[in-house]
Amino acid sequence: MSVAIEFSSIFAKYTNNQMDIKAEGKTVGECLHDLARQYPEFGEIILDKNRDLLPSFDIFVNGEDTYPHTMTYQVKDGDKINIVLIVHGG
Amino acid sequence: MLSKKELKRYDRQIMIPGFGAAGQEKLKKAKVFIAGVGGLGSPVALYLAAAGIGTLRIADHDTIELSNLNRQVLYREKDIGEEKAASAAAKLKKLNPQIKIETISETISEANVAKLVGDSDMIVDAMDNLPTRYLLNRTAIQKNIPFFHGAVYGFEGRAMTVIPGKSACLNCLYHGVIVPEEKTPVIGVTPAVIGCIQATEVIKYILGMGELLTGRLLNYDGLRMKFTEFSIKKDPGCAICGKAPGR
Repeated sequence: MSVAIEFSSIFAKYTNNQMDIKAEGKTVGECLHDLARQYPEFGEIILDKNRDLLPSFDIFVNGEDTYPHTMTYQVKDGDKINIVLIVHGG
Repeated sequence: MLSKKELKRYDRQIMIPGFGAAGQEKLKKAKVFIAGVGGLGSPVALYLAAAGIGTLRIADHDTIELSNLNRQVLYREKDIGEEKAASAAAKLKKLNPQIKIETISETISEANVAKLVGDSDMIVDAMDNLPTRYLLNRTAIQKNIPFFHGAVYGFEGRAMTVIPGKSACLNCLYHGVIVPEEKTPVIGVTPAVIGCIQATEVIKYILGMGELLTGRLLNYDGLRMKFTEFSIKKDPGCAICGKAPGR
């Protein structure tokens, strides 16, 4: 399955300023691992040592929240995954 | 009853279809608690004061610093060292002497939050840290009053409106996650955009007009100049709003 990955512009420095990224996988977890394979530095930002998603990120698929089963959330060809950083600034 | 001066002052908004003098009366009767008068709280307070919200209750424990001035547009260089709440109130009074401003310079805490919010009709979350945001969210749920969330980072911001018992709360959205409190990078235009969205939501709620930003997280990316919406469902097992009044 090929999915589009959309993320905050602030992470573009980890993807050589590429914002239109595709990843392969049947679940969100597999897609994020594929993203980390393509862009290891980005992987270090979003995944912990066990390759799980860090709690400071939320993942949405086609605009729908994937919590609490984010890493096992099923995706299909053409889906869009959004990686959203939890922010607190005021 | 609106005075002749008020009818003239608010003429351009009163003429909005569906708004009218009755809508202006609703704004005049409302009391809004604004938690934080920094980057977000500045535009929120300015636009709510300009719109004629009857009472603004503004809380901030900080004093003004030089590094605030790139985004906290209520303040001037000569204000450095002053308490934000008092300084903000002085500016807002100059903008609109007809409204009432209540100031609080205390730190919002577990012990005092219910008292500080008092009999306000709603809470605007313009804070700079997640623990206080969660505290205010829980207080809004307990008091059964709306909560207007906004947050910023760099060129990005998020906003969501919470109606207790009806829509997802901040805890449904972030699940109690606490991120490390670090100095947040931000350009002033970002809290201006998000703060104005929060103020718009407050005004719409009071008027009963339009469609609120409930059950939806609005994500703003200023670098791509793109708004994206994410669906946020109310979590039936939420520790904060799962037993909310009105459910």
